[in-house]
Amino acid sequence: MMRISRRTFALGIIGTCCLSFTPTIAIAQADREREERWQQLVSYLFDDREVVPTETLIKIEAPARAQDAALVPITLTMPEKDKIKSVYLVIDDNPVPLAAHVTFGPAADAGSLQMRVRIDTYTNVHAVAETKEGRLFSAVAFVKASGGCSAPSGPSDLEAMKGMGEMRLRLSEPSQKGKSTAATLMIRHPNFTGMQMNQLTRLYTPPRYIEKMTVTYGDQTVLDVAGDISLSTNPAIGFNFVSDGRQSMKVVASDNKGGRWESAFDVSANN
Amino acid sequence: MLRLLGKPRSAIVLVLVVFMSATTGAPFSVAEIREPDGLWTGPMQGETPSTLNGARVIDLAELVALLPQQPVLVDVGPAQKKPEDLPQDRLWLPTHRSIPGAAWFPGAGAAVLEPAKEIIFFRRLEELTGGDRSKPLVVFCRPECWGSWNAGKRLVARGYSRVHWFPGGITKWQEAHDVRQVTPEKGWGPEQ
Repeated sequence: MMRISRRTFALGIIGTCCLSFTPTIAIAQADREREERWQQLVSYLFDDREVVPTETLIKIEAPARAQDAALVPITLTMPEKDKIKSVYLVIDDNPVPLAAHVTFGPAADAGSLQMRVRIDTYTNVHAVAETKEGRLFSAVAFVKASGGCSAPSGPSDLEAMKGMGEMRLRLSEPSQKGKSTAATLMIRHPNFTGMQMNQLTRLYTPPRYIEKMTVTYGDQTVLDVAGDISLSTNPAIGFNFVSDGRQSMKVVASDNKGGRWESAFDVSANN
Repeated sequence: MLRLLGKPRSAIVLVLVVFMSATTGAPFSVAEIREPDGLWTGPMQGETPSTLNGARVIDLAELVALLPQQPVLVDVGPAQKKPEDLPQDRLWLPTHRSIPGAAWFPGAGAAVLEPAKEIIFFRRLEELTGGDRSKPLVVFCRPECWGSWNAGKRLVARGYSRVHWFPGGITKWQEAHDVRQVTPEKGWGPEQ
């Protein structure tokens, strides 16, 4: 008697759910497809190494709806920064999903990182932290933006390439010896995706993007950045470094077409 | 007068009209884009007309209202084109999400379609509609996409009597609804 009534009750609940929550079921299906996509990317990008969702080791901040799909600001926070060796930024539904891989050197403060990226369609964006022990942890944000990879870069390719390789480095405040200082590095570069069509000639501009950036402070590495077509035009990266009060900062950048640029910046405390 | 100028030039005239009104100090307004007589042959991305002769233009609410009639959903959004000299070691893995149940014919709205492709397109539409020319159809891609306008034009010319053009496309749909991963229709191929 008791069992029957329980079962009836359970069936009643299931029935109610099915009737009133059909959209939820549809959403679950869409979510499953996105999760499948992520698992597929994990197997390609991380050779099937386990990637564990985390609430603590890495956090991602991105606008829920981007104003400009070709210029979406992303902030990564790594609260337990001393454990972090590198971070990956993966834009799941971009055709080239890996946007950047940033490895922190001894002069870095791996607590946070900012980047600007292109987003091609409504997508999950995954941030993956690699610990010094070699384990991988992920955080995710959903971003509504579309057309970022094919958005034309300006009136002409030549115009977009003007001043290519020029760099600027800005400190949020004067550096103080022994303290972490926030810096933003900007490099002038079109970062052509290869998916941008010239509306007049109807030709695609070949991909030309920053492949590698190395930031050193004195003789120590701050960051090694492996970039890709998903980085925005004029790539910018915000990072922190630990000042020793006197050294200069050097940046070497190169692109996939053999371009190579170097700049040095005075970031000493009495600057 | 405008019509006499023909298709590609009418766009230029419009640009001039807008430009002139801006320079003469008149309030800046976007001029109405006129329907070309045939298929649009200009740049595929850009402002589109608000009408499509022989078809109904619908917004998201109207599409949702139409869904119970099980219209054939025709997505003609382009497939992402792999950059020619993308280095080998880069993972190229495009994906296309659409309105659930949509049939995807990437690039079927091109002004010039290979005859073989056109045959496949019409044959597949024949199958999807069960040969019923009065079955509701909805063509779409993304906003400012002449491809969906052209595809609608093709289907009207083919004799379909209930063609709906949804210019908001996937972008508008996914504002409020889920999208589903789709692959190009069988035999169509991943053409751009």
